[in-house]
Amino acid sequence: MLRFAALRLGRALLTIALVVTFAFIVLRLSGDPAMMIMSPDAPPEALKAFREAWGLDEPLWLQYLKYFTAILQGELGQSMRDGRPAIELVAERIPATLLLTLPALALKIGLGIPAGIYAALHRNSMTDRVVMTFAVAGFTVPSFVLGLILVLIFAVQLGWLPSGGQEGWRSVILPVISMGLGGAGVLARFTRSAMLEVLGQPYIRTASAKGVPWGAVVRGHALPNAAIPTVTVVGFMVGSLMAGAVVVESVFSWPGVGRLMVVAVANRDLAVVQCVLLLVSATMVTSNLIVDLLYGVLDPRLRGQAPAAGGGH
Amino acid sequence: MRKITRRAAGLLAAATALPRFAIAQADTRPSITIAVQRIANSNTFDNLREHSNVGERTAMMFNERLIEVDWRGNLAQKPGLATSWHRPDDRTVELKLREGVVFHNGDPFTAEDVVARFSSAGMFGDTRPVVDGKTLAHAFTGLTGQASKDLPKEIPPVARRLWPGLDRVEIVDRHTVRFINATPDVTLEGRMAAMGSEISSHRARAEAASWLEYARKPVGTGAYAIREFKPDTFLVLDAHDQYWGGRPPVKSIRLVEVPEASSRINGLLAGEYQFACDIAPDQIGAIEANPAFEVQGGTILNHRLTSFDKFHPQLADPRVRLAMAHAIDRQAIVDALWAGRTSVPRGLQWEFFGDMYIADWKTPEYDPAKSRQLLKEAGYKGDPIPYRLLNNYYVNQVPTSQVLVEMWKQVGVNVVIEMRETFVQLRDRSQPRGVRDWSSGATLNDPVGSIVSNFGPNGAAQQAHEYANEEFSRLCVVLETSADRALRRKAFARMLVIAEREDPAYIILHQAATFTAKRKEIKWRAMPAYQMDFNPGNFAV
Repeated sequence: MLRFAALRLGRALLTIALVVTFAFIVLRLSGDPAMMIMSPDAPPEALKAFREAWGLDEPLWLQYLKYFTAILQGELGQSMRDGRPAIELVAERIPATLLLTLPALALKIGLGIPAGIYAALHRNSMTDRVVMTFAVAGFTVPSFVLGLILVLIFAVQLGWLPSGGQEGWRSVILPVISMGLGGAGVLARFTRSAMLEVLGQPYIRTASAKGVPWGAVVRGHALPNAAIPTVTVVGFMVGSLMAGAVVVESVFSWPGVGRLMVVAVANRDLAVVQCVLLLVSATMVTSNLIVDLLYGVLDPRLRGQAPAAGGGH
Repeated sequence: MRKITRRAAGLLAAATALPRFAIAQADTRPSITIAVQRIANSNTFDNLREHSNVGERTAMMFNERLIEVDWRGNLAQKPGLATSWHRPDDRTVELKLREGVVFHNGDPFTAEDVVARFSSAGMFGDTRPVVDGKTLAHAFTGLTGQASKDLPKEIPPVARRLWPGLDRVEIVDRHTVRFINATPDVTLEGRMAAMGSEISSHRARAEAASWLEYARKPVGTGAYAIREFKPDTFLVLDAHDQYWGGRPPVKSIRLVEVPEASSRINGLLAGEYQFACDIAPDQIGAIEANPAFEVQGGTILNHRLTSFDKFHPQLADPRVRLAMAHAIDRQAIVDALWAGRTSVPRGLQWEFFGDMYIADWKTPEYDPAKSRQLLKEAGYKGDPIPYRLLNNYYVNQVPTSQVLVEMWKQVGVNVVIEMRETFVQLRDRSQPRGVRDWSSGATLNDPVGSIVSNFGPNGAAQQAHEYANEEFSRLCVVLETSADRALRRKAFARMLVIAEREDPAYIILHQAATFTAKRKEIKWRAMPAYQMDFNPGNFAV
């Protein structure tokens, strides 16, 4: 198990290193930062001073080395628009984003997985069809459309909830539902499919034939075996906790990481863009690492395998 | 010695406590929330840095100028922080400052604050008052000088655009100052009333840790003081109860940035916002269908235009630019996209200019046949011309651009839209520029505040190397330095001919209009400007 975990951890670190490198290359290829920030009309001496101040006059390999070293030391640069360390700007937005994405994740899991299990256990029944209709509707309607519909009903018509902004717990409800329902639909479909596949396996029939109560068969044999694909999807959802609310944050004027990212990209605030990219990639990689480790817990046969064979994501 | 009994002491204590309590109880003024598309482009509030339409909206809530425009009346100049002024000669204006004015930090307003604002450290840097038709370099940067107390380098070129010839401001006494220009200038009073001439506390500016700290919370004399600003999110202002103009009618004003128009309207209808700004004309009917709401506003002293980079190979021939101007059916745009709620102006001017208004001037008429003829004469072969614009920074900007592209296509001009996110990107010279969206406002009641300020030697167009015309620049100097009103009027008329027909710098589209939705029970009147007025006398519930 230790070797399994070490291999996964190594792969996660490599992925982050690749993202860091990719971010460096893309940001450097997308134009001379000095020209973009100081503008092409800036006097040559100002451009020169800017390049020297930011080390842009050094060879690319040296810039990359310094950039990589700085990241390892937790130095992510200063926002060119705000003047403060980029990490500070991003960090102060994280709680707002998590305030939406964590409850939305709970809603996805709490609603999607039971619905999927229920639908699988009542396959082809009216309940199954109703659940799947809602699931398909949930993940096909874009979150911003759902958000606007919810606002029209619950804020404008009924006046029960705020239409946007961050004004107390009531402001959280509509954005969370907008994000949560779509994810719940996805999870319901995945869980149902996984359950149906497992319920058709010989060992389920064997357990039933041996007289094991149906509830015990489902809990003891079907659910653990159906968990792997579901855990994979949940892993993706956990990974998108930081970046998954960009659209919803705009619709609900929510001051989170998503809106910061939109503004930073629009203003070419490179340090902030880099910082958000690193945060998002680190979250995604960490989430995938945890999922990898969970595979080993859920299925002991995977513990001895090489990294490439275990995932599927 | 008289004995103070316990009872008397109790009564005394109650007496001293009661008035304070009563004052606190009496403050029943409402607090309001205003939803806006954007609070500030640069996330600062010094109007030489935030020299924008959105900056104009908030500026006069917390700042004031020496001379003001009577926005509620006939747009004439009226006393602001100065109570009176006179001209000892055609280069000098002497102003008597208003006494009893208090800054938000409690400091009294004096001549020192005026001198500090119009100084090298306040706005001019190392530039000199030379009106010679030459262009000052402009960096068009992102925000600079964050950690320093120094003036950011993008400020002086903007300041010189507004005050090209100002030599110095002298203190006559504690409440009298003298503005001395290097050249004669009949528009000095107008410049004092224009955006960028706001006065803030010189002590607060000096004590701020950096220019950015000052610019995020200027300490002015306006009816409301900035309490908190969270960039890209909200701005909160509190009533400045020592305001010389009377007790502000609103307890606190909260501006929230809501980029989506539908979200602004939903929030208004849901009762979370009392005002929703930047409403498109096609949404007015839907809002007013609810009897509790109304939309105010209309045309303002600002024209929407597209401007050229005349150095683009396809636009070098002025006939191509003129052909593009003749290809536009402006009235169709006004009718289709603005429901007729704005109008097509007579070039880059307003009646507000008084005797400088050229009443018989007309913007190039819609004439597709003439366009085709001009293009033929110019030998235009249909090569693409880039057209840069922002995503609805101006109301109806994107639909207008799509209509324009189709109209140009009808006469054979191949214009390709390139969306951009910032004004810096609009002016970026590293890629070919052709046409870009812009607006021009009458910052003062004279053409120097618009055509000269935008397209003159130190206007943004020339500073960004988009336009140049020797005769035009020479006439700008006449407008800026001559005291002969007839000569100035003649020069302006000729400038319109050059900039709109002979060597077009821009195409006038329509007069800008701005619409603000609000709850009907709030008695408030929109000004013919972007600025929102919540001063005493313009707000009641």
